[in-house]
Amino acid sequence: MKKLLSLTVNGDTYEVAVSPWKTLLDVLRDELGLMGTKRGCGIGTCGVCTVIIDGKAILSCLTLALECEGKAITTIEGISSEGLLHPVQKSFIENGAIQCGYCSPGIIMTAKALLDENPHPSDDEIKEALAGTFCRCTGHVKIMEAVKKAAQPAGEGASHAPGK
Amino acid sequence: MRLPRFEFIKPVSLEESLTLLEKYGGKAKVLAGGTDLLVNMKYGVLRPETVMSIKGIPELCSISSDGGGHTTIGACVNLSDLAENMTIAEKFPALHSAVKSVASKHIRNMASLGGNLCLDTRCWYYNQSKLWRDARELCHRTGGSVCHAIKGSKRCHAINASDTAPALIALDAKIAVMKKGQKRLIPAKEFYRDDGISHTILEPGEMVTSIQLPEGNGNSQSTFIKVSMRKGIDFATGSIAAHAIENGKGVAGIRLVVGSIASAPVLLDKSSQVITESGLTEKSIEKAAETVRSELGTLTNLFTSAGYKRHLAEVLVRRALSEIKEKIGRARK
Repeated sequence: MKKLLSLTVNGDTYEVAVSPWKTLLDVLRDELGLMGTKRGCGIGTCGVCTVIIDGKAILSCLTLALECEGKAITTIEGISSEGLLHPVQKSFIENGAIQCGYCSPGIIMTAKALLDENPHPSDDEIKEALAGTFCRCTGHVKIMEAVKKAAQPAGEGASHAPGK
Repeated sequence: MRLPRFEFIKPVSLEESLTLLEKYGGKAKVLAGGTDLLVNMKYGVLRPETVMSIKGIPELCSISSDGGGHTTIGACVNLSDLAENMTIAEKFPALHSAVKSVASKHIRNMASLGGNLCLDTRCWYYNQSKLWRDARELCHRTGGSVCHAIKGSKRCHAINASDTAPALIALDAKIAVMKKGQKRLIPAKEFYRDDGISHTILEPGEMVTSIQLPEGNGNSQSTFIKVSMRKGIDFATGSIAAHAIENGKGVAGIRLVVGSIASAPVLLDKSSQVITESGLTEKSIEKAAETVRSELGTLTNLFTSAGYKRHLAEVLVRRALSEIKEKIGRARK
């Protein structure tokens, strides 16, 4: 039986009728049309479905939509504002950290969650945060560089405030 | 992969959850982080009619010290929160390292301690999609009568890959298990059964509610080491937890537990005894490591060969004891 659910995604509130077995990923893509969040392995190892919930990077493929009531969900669509890309997105483009692009939304959201919490992470901290993501084009060196450059010392880079 | 259909319930109090669990019995599964349960449901190996979320129950989500020498961790406490808790890191280094070693940060942001304790056992046939499993006849675990991991085996040998289990057994934790009108406190080492199918002592209608750790009086050292194929995110190929209690002169008692090589964590009584009897010296560490091989009993070739598991256990004992020795040396300075 479907239940009525109120979801707050990127600052907007949506009312959706959801079956209990639908994951947050199912609802984002199939009900809300937010296709930026990708479907990958479905079992929690690839990280392409990463979204930020209450400040933490989580896997939308293993989160039931019904568990998300009242939580602040941010997807890749919500981190740029007024046509301006988020510094992490910009850094990915400038550093060539994108090949086919399928893993990019998940990795960018993971990096954003890390930098929001820890604006100047060490290499090991970046590696620890990115361990749950997977680039099948093997672009991890460039991705590391992009995250490092996005995390410049205070004053040199743009802020990592969320878009909305 | 999509989830199969189920009914979803979310009680808001412990009392309500136990009443519901009694009502639904074995037809319901308890959901905390979901990083293990939902995966197994997608694979179709678990098919509960009802899924009960316990995330809305406040008393299951806290860490507290009772002032009487015990720290209690709620079953629903998140692994990232637990890893960041400095009191836990100081008092129980083995648990801190074990929690930090679980999967990836994404998964730790979701998973719970109770869930990791109850982590379903793993096997190369069982943990696959239905399509994959359908290519072969059903195994003990999936309702048939063969074992695809060990030819001819009459039982299921799926491996218990919980990282926190060996740490909690080494630290002499007690697991609080509740059902309607009843609460039992079970020593962590008695929580597991050496059976790939029914791997914990939990009965229908029961669930883990908290984990109790004895704080000791500052005279103990503990450590946890995990070996896995991939460093970033993986189940352990083998792990070890060691916990030593000092009496000022030497080691008064030590507990060594090896994880991820059998259907239950293995408590190494004989190797531990070597250290208790002859102290922590380079010679006794060598002797303890040699003792492990004969102590492990029959091992399987699941995931890695039995010979490799035996060798790994020996290496892990040596490493863990050397670390404990170093820690004690540092603490004395």
